[in-house]
Amino acid sequence: MLTSLSYREKTLYASLAAEILVYGPYFFLHRQNSVNKVAGMIVAIIVLQIILQSIIAAVTRNRVTDERDRLIQLRGYRAGYLTLASLMVLGLGMLWFHTAAGHLQLTSQMVGLHFLSVFFGMLIIADITKTVAQIVAYRKAL
Amino acid sequence: MPAIRNRIRELRAAREFTQQELADKIGVTRQTVIAMEQDKYSPSLETAFKVAMVLGVSLEQCFQYQPRGKR
Repeated sequence: MLTSLSYREKTLYASLAAEILVYGPYFFLHRQNSVNKVAGMIVAIIVLQIILQSIIAAVTRNRVTDERDRLIQLRGYRAGYLTLASLMVLGLGMLWFHTAAGHLQLTSQMVGLHFLSVFFGMLIIADITKTVAQIVAYRKAL
Repeated sequence: MPAIRNRIRELRAAREFTQQELADKIGVTRQTVIAMEQDKYSPSLETAFKVAMVLGVSLEQCFQYQPRGKR
């Protein structure tokens, strides 16, 4: 199956694997989030992506990308952007609602970390959506 | 069904090109040739001209436009 995939498709599967591997624990260890943990995840995803993409580039002879790859990439970015924008509106709306209703009382110490966690989570979901949308487009042959 | 249909598979077979050979000649991936042959992807005008040129036919002989709802 791997030989029937184009170079771009292989890099997408590698990206998805790296994203799930690094970001996955973020959602399960949510209560212990800290600025250091978020920074660590960013460094980890960059290092893992460099390693995986280098391996794929080394083992793939034909590294041609074409107009269809670029079109699928644009579709992925559109899906990612729409996800991020929707989550932003939803997140800010919920924040406003809960604050207005008195369910949430944010102290100045926790505001920074709270916003960092929420926005980082939104970025992760949008990033994974972008990658999955591209894989789906390739599987559907566009 | 797409509005643009093509005869790439038939013309390629007549010239005994493999999908990879045709892809190399027009500068796309084999997966793109497969998608074009299955009418799942309509190429850009530039790629369409390249396909027709490599297969030695005119653009109209290779690609047909059928407006939706008129077949």
